[in-house]
Amino acid sequence: LNFVFFIYFAVNTSGFLEGLVRGFKNGLSKEDYRHLTQCDTLEDLKLHLQGTGYGHFLANEPSPLTVSVIDEKLREKLVIEFEYIRNHAYKDLATFLDFIKYSYMIDNIILLITGTLHQRQLSELLPKCHPLGIFDQMETVTIASTTADLYNAILVDSPLAPFFKECISEEDLNEMNIEIIRNTLYKAYLEAFYDWCQQKGGATADVMCEILAFEADRRSIIITINSFGTELTKEDRAKLYPRRGKLYPDGLLELSKADEYEAVKRVSELYAEYKPLFDGTGNNPGDKTLEDKFFEHEVTLNVNSFMQQFQYGVFYSYVKLKEQECRNIIWIAECIAQRHRAKIDSYIPIM
Amino acid sequence: MSLQSLFKMGSLFRSEEMCLAQLYLQSEAAFACVSELGELGLAQFRDLNPDVNAFQRKFVNEVRRCDDMERKLRFLEKEVKKDNLAIDDTGENPPAPLPREMIDMENKFDKLETEMKSVNSNQEALKKNFLELTELKHILRKTQQFFEQCLQIILTKYKKNNNQVYFPIIYNYNLQWLSNIVHFFYYRFVAGVLMRDKISAFERVIWRACRGNVFLRYTEIEAELEDPHTGDKVNKYVFIVFFQGDQLKSRIKKICTGFRATLYPCPETPQERREIALGVMTRIEDLQTVLNQTADHRRMVLSQVALNIRVWLIKVRKIKAIYHTLNLFNVNIEKCLIAECWCPVVDIDRIQLALRRGTELSGSSVPSIMQQMQTKENPPTYNQTDKFTSGFQAIIDAFGVSNYREVNPAPFTIITFPFLFAVMFGDMGHGLLMFLFALYLVLKENRYMKHKPEDEIFKMMFDGRYLILLMGLFSIYTGFLYNECFSRSINIFGTSWNFLMEFRCVMTLDPNKPGVFRGYPYFYGIDPIWQSAENKITVQNSYKMKNAVLMGFAQMIFGLSLAFCNRRHFKDKLTLYCELLPQLLFLCALIGYLCMCILYKWSTAPSLLIGLIDMYMLTDPKSNNRVPLYTGQYQVQIFLVIVTVLCVPWMFLSKPYILYKRSKQKKGHTRFMFFHTKFVKHIKLLIIMLISQFDMSEVIIYQAIHTIEFCLSCISHTASYLRLWALSLAHSELSEVLWSMVMHTGLATSGTSGAILSFFVFWFFSSLTVSILLVMEGLSAFLHAIRLHWVEFQSKFYKGEGYIFSPFSFTLIVEGKV
Repeated sequence: LNFVFFIYFAVNTSGFLEGLVRGFKNGLSKEDYRHLTQCDTLEDLKLHLQGTGYGHFLANEPSPLTVSVIDEKLREKLVIEFEYIRNHAYKDLATFLDFIKYSYMIDNIILLITGTLHQRQLSELLPKCHPLGIFDQMETVTIASTTADLYNAILVDSPLAPFFKECISEEDLNEMNIEIIRNTLYKAYLEAFYDWCQQKGGATADVMCEILAFEADRRSIIITINSFGTELTKEDRAKLYPRRGKLYPDGLLELSKADEYEAVKRVSELYAEYKPLFDGTGNNPGDKTLEDKFFEHEVTLNVNSFMQQFQYGVFYSYVKLKEQECRNIIWIAECIAQRHRAKIDSYIPIM
Repeated sequence: MSLQSLFKMGSLFRSEEMCLAQLYLQSEAAFACVSELGELGLAQFRDLNPDVNAFQRKFVNEVRRCDDMERKLRFLEKEVKKDNLAIDDTGENPPAPLPREMIDMENKFDKLETEMKSVNSNQEALKKNFLELTELKHILRKTQQFFEQCLQIILTKYKKNNNQVYFPIIYNYNLQWLSNIVHFFYYRFVAGVLMRDKISAFERVIWRACRGNVFLRYTEIEAELEDPHTGDKVNKYVFIVFFQGDQLKSRIKKICTGFRATLYPCPETPQERREIALGVMTRIEDLQTVLNQTADHRRMVLSQVALNIRVWLIKVRKIKAIYHTLNLFNVNIEKCLIAECWCPVVDIDRIQLALRRGTELSGSSVPSIMQQMQTKENPPTYNQTDKFTSGFQAIIDAFGVSNYREVNPAPFTIITFPFLFAVMFGDMGHGLLMFLFALYLVLKENRYMKHKPEDEIFKMMFDGRYLILLMGLFSIYTGFLYNECFSRSINIFGTSWNFLMEFRCVMTLDPNKPGVFRGYPYFYGIDPIWQSAENKITVQNSYKMKNAVLMGFAQMIFGLSLAFCNRRHFKDKLTLYCELLPQLLFLCALIGYLCMCILYKWSTAPSLLIGLIDMYMLTDPKSNNRVPLYTGQYQVQIFLVIVTVLCVPWMFLSKPYILYKRSKQKKGHTRFMFFHTKFVKHIKLLIIMLISQFDMSEVIIYQAIHTIEFCLSCISHTASYLRLWALSLAHSELSEVLWSMVMHTGLATSGTSGAILSFFVFWFFSSLTVSILLVMEGLSAFLHAIRLHWVEFQSKFYKGEGYIFSPFSFTLIVEGKV
């Protein structure tokens, strides 16, 4: 019966696209990273990237190169690949890929609202938006002054509407509010995505629930840590935790009581997955930050997702891994451009 | 074909003799020398700095400058293509310019690029202006229409409700009146232009954001507008929004900017609108003339670019290739570059000449030196091909590039491949069509060489045109033998059967019946009478089957003899006597004897298969009451069986044994040399034995696999050649079916209707012939012929583990093949 399912998957759903994604995934090797860190100028970086899967994506850029150009081109490449896949997908896979897009939409909205709050021009903000998260009504969010406004006027037609239910209020938009909106949106998004994958079942559920559970827990932990010393009450904070991770329900309850970093650490150490992440982190030079540790763990999960066939997790992992790779390249490029070579090796290696 | 190229074909037997040469080039002469070598295209350079990163090599800056030039040229090319100008292709092949000319070129390209960019930005600004004016024009027109429509509606309503007298007054002042109404209620409006795909989202957002307190109307602009930045055609909508109050106004304006709509001032009174519209029209006209002038200027610049861009591109590519090559060289010594390259021994003089030319060109006083090196590395395989042989060589290379100086099967393939194909595809008519198609390609080859065909499938056929030509020719030949032309036979020489007599009874041809067979065979090929005989298939099967086995044996024996050539060339006597000789004996005793039996008793076919089984069961044919083929058959067969059986251990054991003995002798020698104390001696001996045991087991396993494979393959390969019969049968049956089911029905109908029917049936018949019999059957026969060559033939002698010689050649680089 499994066999029949595989054939069905391959023929009917996304065999072609999965193959494509596995091809796209082949990124930079350890050797490549080593060479990249040895570059002296951005021109060298460009020359070396020409020899990798990135090919001639910078060939039409006049010198001198800047980091922002590289960033833009890397992003453009990812977007082109993703849009190609999205255009060829249908049914469930299309929904799945849209879910991936939603997180970028949330980021974009928040970016625009924060920008307008700080009296920035729209033309200045737009280039900073992630192209994967652009939708028709996006640019009009600047007219909203309250969250209810935001929902009723603009977002009700967008795919993000269902995530918005929990944060409708008549309060004015201020910085604190925006942060809460962001986290509530993310929470709703993660929960919806998780439930969708669970309902999809099979290998997709196995892989994706693992990744999304980690994502949810990471958010909870980071929200807690970042909330220390702000006006956010513990009850409000507890409302922001996505309730799909491994920390749910006991861990989250403990987290909501935490007052300091050590308390968070104590809670996390009860969980085998998160204990190693907290070990060895610190602010001493040479130590990795907790954030980097989280990234590394995310990379491992995403790499593992490629071990299974005939499931949608590869698409998610592909986007995340490529993003990480782009971040790495940009990190290296920044280090080169600013002649700050001491930290050039602290990119997140992708195995 | 000229004598020279025939002579070259001789060299196709083995790949060219190669040598590794070291070049000492003066730094100032290196560029010119490499340039000359690139034009020559006979040297393959080795990378002498494999550990150095691409960006740490010496000439990386020059490569980068070339990249930049290429980028500029690509930009210019894109602009040329945008304007649909034809790029001039004179077929000229300019030499690589000297390094000092590079700066000139860079300046030239730079100037052109900046000029082009300024023209472009100029044009873009003008176009943007033009677009704005056009949009404004449309807005004015559409709003005017809209207001007039409104008025009509109001007036008709007014008319219905109260048919009063003072109506004409209102009518006279209608437009003025309407705007007054608008003013009276403080209704204000904004008008603008929006992209078509955004209009519905825009409508909804505006409705929601203003809570329904606005009035929106929109209509499409019929004409397509041009996006000034990308040059694409876009469709846009004109919209007009009515609202009350300033708060809504700012809100609507924000939404408009959010949707990237462009707003235009639209006056409220019709008179003002008309005035503005007039002004806009004159400004559009003015702008149009300016735009035309800019376009003319742009065209002028580009036409100059189009004239030269091909030559420039070639030049830049050549410089880049030269610097890439220089990057492979060893630069550690001052004033001198050291290069290593593989080159054919026969062409050393030409390379030296090229070096001298390069040195002279650069004006260097110190000559460049070329020196041959001794090496143990495997040289690359270089088979010189021309347009005729390249197709055949490609078939061989697709299986595997031959080892250095190994016998190359390509020259034999030139004949055997089309022949084996034709055995499966034997039909004069089909062969003729194929031949004519290939002939067309060959005759038009100059034209197609110039304008490379885009279509991949066509390109493949074009590359194999000579192969197809020969396949067609041979098919005509075998078709003639089979006496089949679109499955019909041709009676040329007069049949040698008295068929009139046969017609009365059953159409089974039996030569033993008196008076039926005239006693002499048909002059050439198969007698056409068989076409209508009932036992046609039986006779043809037996004929084709036997033929297949005979041809297979011949080809396999030929393969083995080529293996002898190989062994003798490489002076490998051990393999020759311990492997090849028993192999040959084995094959001859087993299959050779079978073939002999086939030939000996061609017509009265006794069951050869049973004979063969009997032979290995060691049963005397007499004891089973079978008539022996010839006297002494039993004794001969016993002898052959003994030979066959003996061959197996010979193949299996002799080579490992001799190797073992040799290694033991060697090791024994060293043992006596070095070891004195008994204890150490024993230990060492043990280790040596273990090691040698390990070595030997590998050799033995390898030999065992080899032996088993060969013995089994003798049978299976022979059986595999039966595909010649099977495919030929399938082909003739299919074409017969096509004839009798399709064409025959058309021809069998008489009268006018028959003529018309035949006309249509012919189209059906011919299209099926081409699609099924020529293309599909042809492809399948082609594949089977390839298999017979790759597996059955080449496995006897061909290793195919070499690597191909890829020289540094400008022609390949410019054509983009590298």
